[in-house]
Amino acid sequence: MSEVVTPEKVRIRITVNDTAHDLLVEPRTLLADLLRGELELTGTHVGCEQGVCGACTVLVDGAATRSCLVFAAQLDGATVRTVESLAGADGTLHPIQQAFHENHGLQCGFCTPGMLMGACELLERTTAPEPDDVREALGGNLCRCTGYQNIVKSVCAAGAALATERNGQA
Amino acid sequence: MKPAAFAYLAPRDLDEALDQLAEHGADARVLAGGQSLVRLMNARLASPAVVVDINRVAGLDALERHNGTLRLGATVRQRTSELSPDVAAHAPLLAEAGAHVAHAPVRSRGTVVGSVAFADPSAELPTALLALDGRVVVRSRSGERTVEADDFFTGPFTTSLAPGEMVVAVEVPVTTAGTGTAFVEVARRHGDLPVCGVAATVTRGDDGRVGATRIALCGAGERPVRARAAEDALTGSDGGTDAVAEAAARASEGLSPIADCHGSADFRRHLARVLTGRALRTAIDRAAGEANDV
Amino acid sequence: MSTVEDRPTTATTGSPREGERRWIGRSVARKEDPKLLAGRATYVGDVMLPGMLYGAVLGSPHAHARIVSIDTSAAEAIPGVAAVLTGAQAAELVNPMPAFCAEPVPQTAVAIERVRYPGEAVAIVAATDRYIAEDACAAIRVEYEVLPAVVDPEAAMAADATRIHETLDSNVAFHRVLDFGDVEGDLARAHTIVRTRARWHRMCASPMETAGAVASWNPFDKSMTVYSNSNFHNFLPWAFAGMLGVSTNRMRMIPCAVGGSFGSKHFITKVLAIAGALTKATGKPVQYMEDRVDNIAANDNVGCDRIYDAELALAEDGEMLGLTLKIVDDYGAYFQFAHGQHGNAMAQPTGPYRIGSLRYDVSCVLTNKVQQGFFRGAGADPGNFVLERLVDKASEVMGIDRAEIRRRNFIAPEQFPFKTPPGNVYDSGNYAAVLDRALELAGIDDWRAEQERMRAEGRYLGIGLATCQERTGYNASEWWFLYDNPPLPATSTPESVKIDVDAMGGVRVEVGCPLWGNSPETVVSQVVAEEFGIDPADVSVTYADSTTGAMSAGPGGSRLTIMLSGATRGAARTIRDKMIRIAAHAMEMDPADVECVDGTFRAKGAPGTSMSMADIGMRAALFFHSTPEDESSGLVAVHTYDHPYSTPPSDDRKDMGAFYPMVSHACHIPIVEVDVETGLVTLRAYYAVNDCGTVMNPTLVEGQIVGGIVQGIGAALMEEYRYGEDGALDTPTFREYLMPSMHEVPEIVVEHLETPSPFTEYGVKGAGEGGRLVAPTAIASAVDDALKPLGVWVDELPMTPERVVNLVQGAGGGS
Ligand SMILES: Cc1cc2nc3c(=O)[nH]c(=O)nc-3n(C[C@@H](O)[C@H](O)[C@H](O)COP(=O)(O)OP(=O)(O)OC[C@H]3O[C@@H](n4cnc5c(N)ncnc54)[C@H](O)[C@@H]3O)c2cc1C
Ligand code: FES
Ligand code: FES
Repeated sequence: MSEVVTPEKVRIRITVNDTAHDLLVEPRTLLADLLRGELELTGTHVGCEQGVCGACTVLVDGAATRSCLVFAAQLDGATVRTVESLAGADGTLHPIQQAFHENHGLQCGFCTPGMLMGACELLERTTAPEPDDVREALGGNLCRCTGYQNIVKSVCAAGAALATERNGQA
Repeated sequence: MKPAAFAYLAPRDLDEALDQLAEHGADARVLAGGQSLVRLMNARLASPAVVVDINRVAGLDALERHNGTLRLGATVRQRTSELSPDVAAHAPLLAEAGAHVAHAPVRSRGTVVGSVAFADPSAELPTALLALDGRVVVRSRSGERTVEADDFFTGPFTTSLAPGEMVVAVEVPVTTAGTGTAFVEVARRHGDLPVCGVAATVTRGDDGRVGATRIALCGAGERPVRARAAEDALTGSDGGTDAVAEAAARASEGLSPIADCHGSADFRRHLARVLTGRALRTAIDRAAGEANDV
Repeated sequence: MSTVEDRPTTATTGSPREGERRWIGRSVARKEDPKLLAGRATYVGDVMLPGMLYGAVLGSPHAHARIVSIDTSAAEAIPGVAAVLTGAQAAELVNPMPAFCAEPVPQTAVAIERVRYPGEAVAIVAATDRYIAEDACAAIRVEYEVLPAVVDPEAAMAADATRIHETLDSNVAFHRVLDFGDVEGDLARAHTIVRTRARWHRMCASPMETAGAVASWNPFDKSMTVYSNSNFHNFLPWAFAGMLGVSTNRMRMIPCAVGGSFGSKHFITKVLAIAGALTKATGKPVQYMEDRVDNIAANDNVGCDRIYDAELALAEDGEMLGLTLKIVDDYGAYFQFAHGQHGNAMAQPTGPYRIGSLRYDVSCVLTNKVQQGFFRGAGADPGNFVLERLVDKASEVMGIDRAEIRRRNFIAPEQFPFKTPPGNVYDSGNYAAVLDRALELAGIDDWRAEQERMRAEGRYLGIGLATCQERTGYNASEWWFLYDNPPLPATSTPESVKIDVDAMGGVRVEVGCPLWGNSPETVVSQVVAEEFGIDPADVSVTYADSTTGAMSAGPGGSRLTIMLSGATRGAARTIRDKMIRIAAHAMEMDPADVECVDGTFRAKGAPGTSMSMADIGMRAALFFHSTPEDESSGLVAVHTYDHPYSTPPSDDRKDMGAFYPMVSHACHIPIVEVDVETGLVTLRAYYAVNDCGTVMNPTLVEGQIVGGIVQGIGAALMEEYRYGEDGALDTPTFREYLMPSMHEVPEIVVEHLETPSPFTEYGVKGAGEGGRLVAPTAIASAVDDALKPLGVWVDELPMTPERVVNLVQGAGGGS
């Protein structure tokens, strides 16, 4: 059996919302806490710290990920996107945010960042999601306010808006 | 709800990982997808002194088939397995069971092997492995051994892994024509661990009689368990309605299910019977069908 | 028929009439959204102050135990730990939590000597980060002497039961029997009496954001600044100051964006006390956020937990005569809010029906569980479940169609305002119209055909039906009128807004309530826009802290839209009138000849002569000599809107008075499929018709209703606190306490009918709780309907797979 090991900090180079960071993190620091604490990106919310609510969902290398179930130390070289990356500096909402706004897809807004990031991943790979696709992608994200109906509607509408946008560009 | 301090190691190759596991023995935990381990650590239900993150270990993410065996390395994600055409074609039970695990974002980090190593008695994938007569490939610095699924799970969240050992892969024999498989479960909420689930594989002989049958249950004992009385009842039968009913009725024989806030032991026995009937009917139909539709 | 003598004459005159309204009634997009969508709103957990420490709580592992000793030395020695406080030490810094009960049930935020529920705080810690704070909690050594746990509320009532509080003679903290009308007579003359023993189980509000506070004590000027997600910062800040040992005029409470409440965050006294004690101990700002386990186990956010023995007496033709309710309510270990939820239930115990008499027999029992607080429905939820179950049973027993028996007993439109047996008044409604529309919307006949078809296949489809009152806009008397000698017979529940129009004509509104998940910014903007004829987008809304805000009780009891529209309209009218006077003075006209249209003030009949908002704003700001003589400078108004219509209870409590008189109504029809072998209940469709008076903003109202229905689906099928025999809480995380996900929710179709309230501005009624009030009983009725061939009767929720299988097996069906 080994002697007790003193945890050493771990160096990570991580890109968050297009900004590169070179950080020393404690091994136990959860990604959610790194984002909310040191990086002051408090848009990512924490609701359960058990992986069950999805409020903390961010994109890690493009994949929707529960940031409460990943240690920052694991993410050397990773690219992370959070809700703060979506809207423009001039206040222009991202089409997914705009769809949530237009379809009343949020009330208190606490679950919303997780929903938006989950929707981002979905809409990267599916242009015209059906409600069941939305449930498949976001079914693990809990919302206590909306009853989900408008969230599903919002994501489907965002898919349509993004498709139009892409076609317009093509 | 924050984890206790630990030392973080991120080996690049298997030997390094095995050395670290050997050095730290019972103080170390392997970190794969982290979808169970980090949860436990957040709740301080696990506080390993050393965490060995195997996600960067080269070569562990292989999903391959040779000589009638499908092999999934230790970092093959549940989502990868579920969506793999190879798995769909050659071990559809694994894909079907896998789709019941959690939610897509959890599955895209969680690993098949991690679920097997975690040995949650309610989990789908260990049960599927048991029904498929799978094997667990275990390595340590002193070498490799292969453990039958029947022998791997020893109790709730406990396996026959010794300190210093890790699972490098799981293997399942490919499901051949004439064999039908099915996984059914009752969970209280979509994506939650099942109250009870049943994985079945049924082979039909040319004479139409049922040949080899394996039925494994989750949520029905301290570990994934075989419903041997039900298997015996079905094997050799004509696989008809009565035979299935007889087998289903015997599915709860000898079970000593866990009880928790999602279901009592009696209810789990009840579900074991109901779901065994359903799984067998589907598996038998699939065995008779041309292809193994999932 | 009873009458209402004392009702208010009319709402303020001059409301824009329906049809003439431009903004009220429109689905104006929410103003609150952009900051929430962008992740830029500041929730309390996002507040970071220089030098801030983080709190954590060590909770009791036992339901009931004596604390023999606590050793905090190892915890204190951990680098980064700034304070470790036991209950006794915390009590030197902060006072006991305010209790609204008359009974001596003292409660401190951190237990002293004895713990009375699992998760009760035993020690609290502040450290440089939450990880270290939790390390410290883990290092505290507590020796307990485990005491017998009192878990079953009926057993707790026994004279020899282990007592939860030595200060009380028994665990029955409160018992009272109230008769309204001729109960005995109605029972005697009844043709049929249907009875049920029903269970309404323990659930919690479970907002996605837990409760939290950042408290910052300034030891030099003895002031305290608190950021929190409470909504009583402009209502009871003095009560919190008292608890924190701060003089009321040195307490500043700052509201944050709130991640949902559903009634659970009004008081959050524990959280405030914990953060307060830790900041006082360290002299540094301290953030204490509950984690999910803290929230489920120890936040006072569990709702009612009742056993009902209920009977409904009916005449031969199905006329409902009398209702008796014998209730044992498991309050848990403390009694902070007394029997407020029974006061609340008194608003509508007889539902939408002309039931002539009521017996209400209530026992509030203490056990070793976390105490009750408030959760959407706040006491009316169980009552509606039981009443509608009884009506269904009567329909079954008497062979009268369940829609028909309801129709026969509904209060008719011409009977409003209607005085209920306990004295509350219903303002208006058309219940039969709602029912008829719901039946039509659901396409009942098609579903019946589908049910037939499926039964032939051995499948069980069920069509539910339930109606419900939703009392909205509470008055404080509900908190205490069950006492003869209440400790604090308060009667106010005001709401205030401040409006100012600046020199450039910009309109700014400051509300006293917080952003709790509802839409105060949108509502006040719509009202201001309506009153001035401007675009709601041009109205700016901010949130007042307790040093600037006027009295505001905030959201709760489905009151906010009613109260905010009243307050905003009042303030807007004051300013508009002043602007008219200034404009008239400038244009040398009689004010009576000036009107405000589309944001300009113009001569009636001669629209060419006009002044803009900016013209008048500048004049009011800088041109004192050019305004009417008796006008002061500036355009600022604060309006406090009190409860639009309430009357005090009678001294003998035979009449509780009008205290919740704006009454919305709904009829819900859920369609379920029941798998009788596995017990799984799947919702196939859901129809809801709702009448909440004038609909302020249809999209937002629908959002409230759908959200409430889904919480009701949780209540019906999943959510439940469960305790072991030793009192251990078996459901402390979201893995055990199950709330619906997207997958459990069917398509929900909502429609509105509008019967405006005569008591409120614009005729609005509330709509915040209705969904959750109806859905559980409606779904129970659907499951009954599905399993009718087996003769199943649901009187206990949630209908988990196991309960359903047991019901089916008990009825002799299934495998
Ligand atoms: C919201 C949510 C819902 C879930 N629902 C389900 C569900 O329905 N069904 C279900 O089965 N699971 C469920 N899970 C858990 C599942 O997602 C996990 O992925 C799985 O249990 C563990 O896999 P992992 O790769 O994440 O392993 P980790 O969490 O990394 O590890 C789990 C355990 O296995 C050990 N381990 C992992 N890999 C190895 C190895 N190669 N050798 C030795 N030991 C190893 C670890 O040391 C640890 O003790 C859920 C999780 C979440 C967050
Ligand atoms: S906080 Fe990460 S899933 Fe709930
Ligand atoms: S909007 Fe409040 S939790 Fe989803």
